[in-house]
Amino acid sequence: MSEEIQMWTEKYRPRRLEDIVDHEEIVNRLEGFVAQKDLPHCLFAGPPGTGKSTAALCLAHDLFGEHFQGNFLELNASDARGIDVIRTTVKDFARTMSLGDIPFKILVLDEADALTPEAQQALRRTMERYTRTCRFILIVNYSSKIIEPIQSRCALFRFPRLNKEDIIGMLKFISEKEGVKLEDDGIEAILYVSEGDMRKAINTLQAASALGESVNADAVYKVTGKARPEEVRQMMELALSGDFIKAREKLHELLVNYGLSGVDVVRQVHRETFNMEIPEPWKLRIANIVGEIDFRMSEGANEEIQLSALLAQFGLVGQGKEKA
Amino acid sequence: MGLPWTEKYKPLRLSDVVGNEKAVTQLFSFLKSWRRDTTKKAVLLYGPPGNGKTVSVYAAARELEAEVIEVNASDKRNLEMIQRTVGSASTMSTLFPVKGKVLLIDEIDGLSGTEDRGGVGAIISVIRDSEYPVVLTANNPWDPKFSSLRQYCQMISFNKIRTPTIHKVLRRICEREGIRAQEAALEAIAKNADGDLRAAINDLQALSRNRTTLTVEDVELYPRDKIKSVFDVLAKMFREREAQAIVREVSSTDVDYEMLMHWISENIPQHMSDPEELGRAYDMISRADVFLGRIKNRQHWGLLSYVFELMSAGVSLSRTVSKTHYVKYQFPSWIRSMSKTRATRSKLSTIGMKIGRKCHVSSSGGVEYYLPYLEVIFQADPKRAAKIAKWFEFEDELIEKIAGDKRTYNKIVKELRKE
Repeated sequence: MSEEIQMWTEKYRPRRLEDIVDHEEIVNRLEGFVAQKDLPHCLFAGPPGTGKSTAALCLAHDLFGEHFQGNFLELNASDARGIDVIRTTVKDFARTMSLGDIPFKILVLDEADALTPEAQQALRRTMERYTRTCRFILIVNYSSKIIEPIQSRCALFRFPRLNKEDIIGMLKFISEKEGVKLEDDGIEAILYVSEGDMRKAINTLQAASALGESVNADAVYKVTGKARPEEVRQMMELALSGDFIKAREKLHELLVNYGLSGVDVVRQVHRETFNMEIPEPWKLRIANIVGEIDFRMSEGANEEIQLSALLAQFGLVGQGKEKA
Repeated sequence: MGLPWTEKYKPLRLSDVVGNEKAVTQLFSFLKSWRRDTTKKAVLLYGPPGNGKTVSVYAAARELEAEVIEVNASDKRNLEMIQRTVGSASTMSTLFPVKGKVLLIDEIDGLSGTEDRGGVGAIISVIRDSEYPVVLTANNPWDPKFSSLRQYCQMISFNKIRTPTIHKVLRRICEREGIRAQEAALEAIAKNADGDLRAAINDLQALSRNRTTLTVEDVELYPRDKIKSVFDVLAKMFREREAQAIVREVSSTDVDYEMLMHWISENIPQHMSDPEELGRAYDMISRADVFLGRIKNRQHWGLLSYVFELMSAGVSLSRTVSKTHYVKYQFPSWIRSMSKTRATRSKLSTIGMKIGRKCHVSSSGGVEYYLPYLEVIFQADPKRAAKIAKWFEFEDELIEKIAGDKRTYNKIVKELRKE
């Protein structure tokens, strides 16, 4: 344990609720649970890098103290998908007694929106059955992907994107601790590329600081030039310009070389759409197409076929001719 | 017509087995010297199909006067099943006079999915408890699901059979069957089989059905080449204008329909260049895929005809402006890049998993949220890269993947050794 933590997102991750910047209201409510030593099942929803997992970890640390280990389990639904995991791992953890004076354990299920509706049904029964000994915190990007019966059993917390001021504060704090010279235009650039995503902001800072003496706008853009959204954007631009074949090559690159899943690609395409410099009405047509393909992908057999169809539809938007 | 020739001419003695001499010797000495306390109690014979793995086991057992107890991959093998058939043989030794037995678990590649859950685990426990040597065969033993199993096995590689060797076997069979065959015809069959002796013998038997002579022309007429039939189907499908005829054409092929869907998807842009056509055609194939998904998820096989209709006629009739022309069809680039990059992808997912363990994200999250930044750091600062690599417990091959090039990798490794 004496080994120094190497990633700054981990090194500077808040350990206790009081350390969390921003989300004042959420933190207040969670602190209330700690004071009462009780907790409902919770649903944390919000975009990546807004502190959902951190809040869950802090809550558990504050609640369990020295008994954190053994009372807390973090599972990632997109790694351990399926009904079987719910039936075994989750059940085994949920049904055994907790240690210490808190009469329940906490199970965090990250990326719970990756669970199929069937798996969610199984989860719902487990949640109900073991409520006395285990409380669940489900973490999702979109609460709508969670089936109604689970939503209604959970206290919903919406995590908005972080405020500029709080990100700036964190960047400055880390830079001071790590001896990084952070320029003003570097801060601006990080704010711009990270879009309220703290993890992205900190990772960008760390990578940019490896490039040279000081972190300025140049260094930041050099870092983000390597990050995936550029590739996604290139793919979208090619497809919109009608070059389907090149766009499809890019798609394969993203899926294969970068190991993105089809869902990742759709999510990033969706995210990029509103940042692109294209006519405003196009953005909504694209959103409509992306939504349809997102849905078909969940029903279909092969993601590559669905994503190809997505790119073909983009060609129509680029011409202003797609069907309504 | 009697016995299949692959059975009729099956080698009974070890010396009759052709090809893979070294592997066969290894197998024989494994079986002969096997003892209950051997460290590797099982042997895993691996290699492409039809090169003599199973046949060698039977021949070797025969030489040792041992009985082969076989569980085939096509059986339904769950834990219970394997223990009942193989397990009982391995523990009931005392009831019978101790005559040798060999447990053969053939074609373990098939072990997968929920039905066989625990199958690999069951095999391991059979190996552990067994009173007799266990022989496994597989086409691809490097599948991650076998990683624990491999530790219990001595690995023996069986290669493809060389074409001249296959040729020789075919000639011998022709002599015995009284078939006058042109050497060139036999050579063509041998070559076409691509190292698969069983396939070559089957082809020979099919081709020489009711004949006493075999010529090159006979062989060339024989349509073993599946690629060619895909080309034909595609050409007809895209040219034809009548829905029913298109569907009939496409469903008559013996190409697996998922593969066919990829072939079609790959080649749509070659026939259609207008964005509206492309949009319509891909919408059709996307709908076909949705039906395929429903079939797979819910076993609604009745939906299969919609898949065929949408992906064939639906796609083809989306062409309204582009003219027909000769097209040189491309192999699905998606399938090609998937198979070419299997190793890369498995490295990526390991990287993602290791990141996930430390940084509270899924393995795909690790790849998405962290890897691009790690790549920047690895390129720019080997010292920090080394520390990070150590913290994440990245193995050398993972470091090399993140570093991107050999030079950067070497620098980082040098830093690592210093620590």
